[in-house]
Order: sequence, then structure tokens, then C-alpha cells
Amino acid sequence: MSEFDSAGTLFKSAPKSLAAFLAAGEERARLWQPEELGAIFRHQMSAPILVDLGGFDPATAARLKTLTHAQSLLLTSFLDLFLHPVPPIELLTLTKDFAKGNMEHSDSSLPNEVAAVLYYVSIATAFLRLDRRISQLSDAELKRGLLWAKGQPWVESPIQNLLDEALQKLAQAGPKP
Amino acid sequence: MSFGDMSSDPTASSIFPRTDWAELGPAAVADTARLDRLIRLYWTPLKIFLVSAFPSLKDQADVLLQEFAEDKILKTGWLQRADPERGKFRDFLKISLRNFILDRLSRAEVKHAPLSLDELEVDLPAQEETLEAFDLTWVRTVLAETLRRMETDCKDPAAEQPRRGQIWDMFRIRLLEPVFNDAPQVPYDQLIASFGLKSPTDASNMLLSAKRIFKTHLTRVIKDYAEQDAATAEEIRALEEFIARLARKMP
Repeated sequence: MSEFDSAGTLFKSAPKSLAAFLAAGEERARLWQPEELGAIFRHQMSAPILVDLGGFDPATAARLKTLTHAQSLLLTSFLDLFLHPVPPIELLTLTKDFAKGNMEHSDSSLPNEVAAVLYYVSIATAFLRLDRRISQLSDAELKRGLLWAKGQPWVESPIQNLLDEALQKLAQAGPKP
Repeated sequence: MSFGDMSSDPTASSIFPRTDWAELGPAAVADTARLDRLIRLYWTPLKIFLVSAFPSLKDQADVLLQEFAEDKILKTGWLQRADPERGKFRDFLKISLRNFILDRLSRAEVKHAPLSLDELEVDLPAQEETLEAFDLTWVRTVLAETLRRMETDCKDPAAEQPRRGQIWDMFRIRLLEPVFNDAPQVPYDQLIASFGLKSPTDASNMLLSAKRIFKTHLTRVIKDYAEQDAATAEEIRALEEFIARLARKMP
């Protein structure tokens, strides 16, 4: 692979390039193109739940194992969880917490956008399939979040459909009790 | 002595050639060696500042800088006066150099009448452009040194982290080339193939590792002169803000 002349390049660079480089060097900076975020999101949807959520404390990890095993092989991936007609609420809550943790920590390997969609999809699934609220978000905040997730060009069906249905249900449901 | 001698060859002889190192105690030797490295590394911004603030001294810039480093910095306990609690090392260096040159010019005025103070007045004000030129070159120096260290570190065959060489290449292809050389973004599929990645998150992880390594070296480069952690963090923020402000002002 070709070399990069750091000193030569830097000393010729315009302030605009230096500013762009410093901003991109931040850990949370946007670095992925939409199609790449789509690939990462698809990968995350097919990732084994036990692997990603297995990092919680031992008691939670054991409970997680029981929950996924109780659904036999139906719940192996995040997509399975979101499309399950009656997904375990605990698994959805753990997924939401896992996503939130990734959004808040700069050492997360998940791009922030992907973690945020995972977060809102977990909440949408609980609301749509179980009629349960698993976050403290107000209706307006939830609607804003769901619309944002739905608006990401790399979020495809069936997750798009799920978000659509959750938004429709939210519109019909009236204010949060 | 030329700038090239100063900054591009880390093995070049000391900037303090007249110093009798045997006479210095261990602490003074350590201080002097550190100053030697710093002055050599930041020679270019200092020279730009000097020439920009005192255009009439352009031809003597290297000699004056050499004298500044040797006579002023080394012999007056200058480093001990650069208290990180009281301000930035960068500003302290600028003010020290400016005062040194003014002092030299005043003495020259007394000795040799032809150089009038009226003439000097043209040079004296610390114009915004002068300060910006210094700070911009300083940022470029800091970043170039950071990237040099990062590349060396990543290509170190003794490094424990696997795929460290690939991490540098990922950083270069994904960030450096597009930002500085307007290179097109390498398609994701090509990245996967080039780096033998297993998954998209693998690519994400590799880039995150690269950014962390960059941040570590940036912090170290700045800590070399800012010394304290808080002052280092403050200096990083100040440099970022300065560059963002300058980018808004000029293309």
C-alpha cells in the first residue's frame, strides 16, 4: 500500500482540511457512508443475541440464556427478537440497555447511528407487540426518535415496517399514562 | 543553520552546541535535552513567528533563534518559569521570543545608531495574522509529529496488538487520504477484501482502534510541552478551537 507523507502533506494543508481531520479524528465522528451503516446494521440484526448481550453481569447473563433457550432456536438473532410475535420483555429491555450503553460510550464498536436505531427499535417492538413502555421517553420524544430511525436510508424492511406500525399505534394510543 | 537541519533530522546535533554538558547536573541535563527536542521540533512555528513579527530580520532569523534557544532559554532557568498553571507553553514561548528580539534590537539601537526605533515600530505590534501564522504552523507541527509517531508505532513489528500495521493503513485510507489529498472514499467491499475483515463491526473496531492510537499520540506530543494532564487537555481543546475558527475564516 502507498505511503503517506505526513509532514509534507500537513505543512501544505489548509485550515479547513486540518479542522475536518481533527473533527473526524473524534471517536464519535461520522465516518461511515449510509450503505456502510446499512451493512453494519444488517450484520447487527443477524448477530447472535447471546454474544452481544452476554457482557452483562453473571445473573443477567444466566437469565438471558434461559430466556433465549425457552424460545428454543427461534430467538438467535436481534432480528428474530424484533419479529417475534410475543418477544420476552426482558430481552427487549436488555437490548435497549445494550444499545444505550453503546450510544453513551465512546469505546463502543457500534457506530452511534446503528446503536441509536437498535435502541428505538427495541422500544418500538415492546410497544407494538406487548403494549409495554420500556423507556422514560415522552410520546413526543419517542415519536421523534422513531421518525428519525425510520428516516435512515439504510434501515430496510422489515424494520421499516415495524417502525411504521409502532408510529401508527403511537398516534392512535393517545398520551402516555 | 537551516530549518531542515532542525526539524527533519531527529539525530541532528544538539541545538545547544556551546553547552558544556559535563558541567550540568542530571536534572539540568534532562531539562536541557527536553528543551533541545522541543525547540528543534517547534523551530518552524518559531521562525514563522519571528519573520512575521519582525520582517526586517528575515535573513537573521535562524541565527537569532539559535541565540534565543542557547542564551535565553537555557541560561536563565527559562523552563522553570514556564508554569503550566499560569498559561500555555505556546504563548510563553512566543512572548519570550518576542521579548528576546526586542531586547536584542534595543541593544543594537544603543550600539549602532543606524537601526532606528521608528523603523522597528513597523515590526512591533503582535498582529493577529502573525499570531495566527504561528499557531497554524504549531498545529501542523503537532499533527505531523503525532502522525509520524503513530505510523512508527503501528508499524513496529514488536507491537503486541495484532493487525497494528493494518490499523495505520485503515486510518490512512479512510481518513488521511480523503481529508488531505481529496482521495475518493474506498468502497466498503474493497476495504473488507483488502483487510481481510470478518464483519462490518470488524471494520468499525479497526477504525476506532486507529482513532484511539492517534489520540494517545496526540496527547503525548502535547504533554511533552504542556506537562500536566489538565494543561494538555486544555491545549488540545484550544488548538481544535483555533483551527475550527480559522477554517471558518479562510478556505
